[in-house]
Amino acid sequence: MTSRRDQSLTLVILGVFSLVALLPIVGILVTAVQDPNGLRSFGSFDGIHLGNFGDAWTQGHFGSYLRSSTIVAVTVVVVSSVFSLLAGYAFGMMRFRGADVLFYVLLLGLMVPMEAVIVPLYYDLRDLKLTDTYWALILPQIGSSVAFGTFWMRAFFRTVPRSLVEAARIDGASTWFTLWRVLLPLARPAVLTMVVLLFMWTWNEFLLALVMVSDEGLRTAPLGLSFFQGRNTSNLTLLAAGAVIVATPVVVLYVFLQRHFIRGMLAGAVKG
Amino acid sequence: MELVSLTLRRGHPGERPPGEPRSIGYLYLAPALIVFAGFVLVPLLHAAWLSLFEWDGLTPGTWVGLHNYGDVVSDPALRRAFGHALILIVFYALLPVAIGLVLAGLVARIHVPGLPVFRTILFLPQVVAMVVVAVMWRMIYDPDQGALNSILRSVGLGGLAKSWLGDFGWALPAVGLIGTWVWYGLAMVLLTAGAQKIPQSLFDAARVDGAGPVREFFAVTLPALRGEIAVALTLTTIAALRNFDLVYITTQGGPGDATSVPAFQVYDRAFKSGQVGSAAAIGVCLVAIIFALSLLINRTGEPRWAR
Amino acid sequence: MRFTIPGAAVALALAALTAGCGTPGGSSADTAKNTDQEARQTVAKTDVAKAGKVTLTVWDQEVRGGQNAQMKRLNAAFQQKYPNVTIKRVAKSFTDLNTTLKLAVSSANAPDVVEANQGRPIMGQLVKAGLLRPVDPYARAYGWQNRYSSVLLDLNKFSSDGKTFGAGNLYGLSQMGEIVGVFYNKDKVKQFPQTMADFVAQSKQAKAQGDVPIQFGNLDKFGGIHEYETVLSRIADKQTVRDFVFARQGASFDNPDFVKAATQLQDWAKAGYFTPNFNGVGYDPAWQQFAKGKGRFLIAGTWVTADLAKQMGERVGFALMPGPSASDQPVALGGESLPFTITSKSKHPDVAAAYIDFITNPDAAKVLAETNNLPAMPVDPSAVPSTGLSADVFAQWKRLNADDGLIPYLDYTTPTFYDDISGGVQRLMAAKDTPAQFAKSMQSVYDKWNSSR
Repeated sequence: MTSRRDQSLTLVILGVFSLVALLPIVGILVTAVQDPNGLRSFGSFDGIHLGNFGDAWTQGHFGSYLRSSTIVAVTVVVVSSVFSLLAGYAFGMMRFRGADVLFYVLLLGLMVPMEAVIVPLYYDLRDLKLTDTYWALILPQIGSSVAFGTFWMRAFFRTVPRSLVEAARIDGASTWFTLWRVLLPLARPAVLTMVVLLFMWTWNEFLLALVMVSDEGLRTAPLGLSFFQGRNTSNLTLLAAGAVIVATPVVVLYVFLQRHFIRGMLAGAVKG
Repeated sequence: MELVSLTLRRGHPGERPPGEPRSIGYLYLAPALIVFAGFVLVPLLHAAWLSLFEWDGLTPGTWVGLHNYGDVVSDPALRRAFGHALILIVFYALLPVAIGLVLAGLVARIHVPGLPVFRTILFLPQVVAMVVVAVMWRMIYDPDQGALNSILRSVGLGGLAKSWLGDFGWALPAVGLIGTWVWYGLAMVLLTAGAQKIPQSLFDAARVDGAGPVREFFAVTLPALRGEIAVALTLTTIAALRNFDLVYITTQGGPGDATSVPAFQVYDRAFKSGQVGSAAAIGVCLVAIIFALSLLINRTGEPRWAR
Repeated sequence: MRFTIPGAAVALALAALTAGCGTPGGSSADTAKNTDQEARQTVAKTDVAKAGKVTLTVWDQEVRGGQNAQMKRLNAAFQQKYPNVTIKRVAKSFTDLNTTLKLAVSSANAPDVVEANQGRPIMGQLVKAGLLRPVDPYARAYGWQNRYSSVLLDLNKFSSDGKTFGAGNLYGLSQMGEIVGVFYNKDKVKQFPQTMADFVAQSKQAKAQGDVPIQFGNLDKFGGIHEYETVLSRIADKQTVRDFVFARQGASFDNPDFVKAATQLQDWAKAGYFTPNFNGVGYDPAWQQFAKGKGRFLIAGTWVTADLAKQMGERVGFALMPGPSASDQPVALGGESLPFTITSKSKHPDVAAAYIDFITNPDAAKVLAETNNLPAMPVDPSAVPSTGLSADVFAQWKRLNADDGLIPYLDYTTPTFYDDISGGVQRLMAAKDTPAQFAKSMQSVYDKWNSSR
């Protein structure tokens, strides 16, 4: 008994809001391929000049920035995923003293934004002589990622039927074997969701890189883009091209794995 | 969406995991807990400690007790920064959730074709790095060449064109609206998905009672979405309070300090003007406020995981 | 979320065990003493060629056309002369450099040479923390005191405890002189105003004709300081401004002249003499508009000379803001560009000093002049441009130096004054604060700092 009118009204409203979400992104894409000596206003169109990406790439050193971002993001994602898997397994499938309290402590971590601890983090890592190294970008991000990851994996393990684990145990499988051989294949979708979310958060992190890194060779892509903007306030096309380069890896990943992104973002609401 | 409810419902702390108590659990926990403690908990405590000093970050600090916290209340610059953060909550959290709710009310009982496509697009702003978002909107807001003023002029509303990020009255709303743009898609997807799961029988019952669409919304849809609203509000409120990238790149807190926010003050004080103790105190206050607001939102909205 | 309370308690206990609980900052009490010893040392010029393989990391903010060109040329020449040295250049905008410099020089792999802005917000704080190396020994070895006027050298001096600005150890050398003056479009301005009243009259006329009288962009916040101080330079006595910047006895901001200058500037803004929506326009886009022929005047520093000359050729001129009467002595805001300093953590201070010497020596001065920059040091007369915009700039520089007419930037005054005054001028020009409120709030932040130092 859905009225047709209601349906079209809903479609129109959804359409308008989707358009608003999309337009700025299309605008920057279009700006990025404009003639660098042309009109230079946001959203104008005078043909396609793909050479801008090459120019931005070399002038902005984006090659080196993407490399740093990749090193940091891959390390953080791999290490935190493994740690989270282990911790989530323990919280979800084992009983031990203090499990609840420890879990709550970890949950607390979901409420501590990087902005709140950046000051002591900087001085602690400087005392350890770790600032201006990849470690300064990797370690704090693993610390905050495992809080979400553990929370996420624990939720998954709680959904696994007991009978499965008990059967494995009766067969004499160790906890280690059960995790990797019995449970991991089942956990694949949950792990993938976790991986894409952690990758996105790590890739997009800005403040940590701004504070910890001054060596140009270690700059991550968002940080590099911010300095590129400082030097290119006048050249909109190159700046737009740089912005597109920085955003592309995550957006491509999103297009291919969007179901995982959306599912994770909605469920992972608490991470922030 | 199925997983949302799984996560939140079955992730109930009171439920017993299978198996016997085993201490091997600690071994599995150790790696995660150690990095977490080392890079989240210890720094948080260290922040609390630093906040009790007046310290320039370079020469030895002076113990000042709770003085830095007093400043949060008494220093007008800081008070304004926290005030701005509260205003940003309106743009980051309340506005997106309101938009999402309107839509949820509309689609509550309608099958929408192509919803996955809309969902994909609506989510896009979420995955673009905040730095990129900021660069993009700085271009849109540019008073001369920006898209916004160009559009206004082309439709004959040139009188409304202004320097969005440079106007004392408009800069903060302009920054806030970027937040709205980033978050409304998430709120819409979350709330419409929730609305589509409301049992048809509830609406039928309301109909029988003679409820119109508006009453139906307040009597059925809204209460049924309390959980989703709480999740959306928590997420967006935290984002509003920790906002740094956007302000740093679009306005540097200006004009004057019209868009200065706590996270920006943390950076500015700690790493530029040498007021590390004060910066640490602001950070601690941020955590406290996030904590208090999350608690408040989730008490009112009854999050599923705490039921 | 009741459960978080025991959670927090556990977290507290856990972290209390691990967090080191001591007074932050450790023992840097001897920094000043060590620095002074360093300043008294004697060093010899290094033979860079024999220094072995060295990588010198240099942070500069020379990103605009002319500055970028000279930096590239000089870096290339240095590396050609000394193939064993690699210069790793990191160029950032002025704002980005200032926001990240402090973090960079405190890092273990600090850059070797950095441009550290004069005054208390940047150089003063770095000196206080012992993060910069005094270059006095090198000054003696290379004879730098003969290369610069003492006024210019003083601007790069601080006492080793960072308390006294303008005297004490020398911390670096600047390449360029700077004047903040008035660029004007010769197509539109037939006769440059001889008095301030004349300047206002021409602005008014431009406004009436639908042109932008004064191009100005203040989104980046620092431009406003220059507009205010340019007006101030023609209203207040130069000594009053200097006393305030160097925080001398009895100096004040809330005084009739400073208020009068604020009133003047606000009146201009209210009358629409500046680019519409200036608080939302970037600094660089504003002068680029001027270069494209939009606008009559541009109050800006000589750092945009090269770019304007390139784009406007003979159609642009440079002059100082005129005083109340045509016969007034020239006064203008200015001084010198950010000094190149050597960080304390640099492992190659000798090579760094040789580099600084190289980019400020007479040959470098020629390169600077050729790239439309204004060298701070004397330059071979043959290299002085005789035509075009640069000729105007060189002439004004000579005049100002002869008459001791330069006043220093207000943002040097206290560690936080860059933020205070830039934000304050934004509020003033947007008519958010009255001139009296503006002066009062600047005075109060100054007093707060002055009483605590």
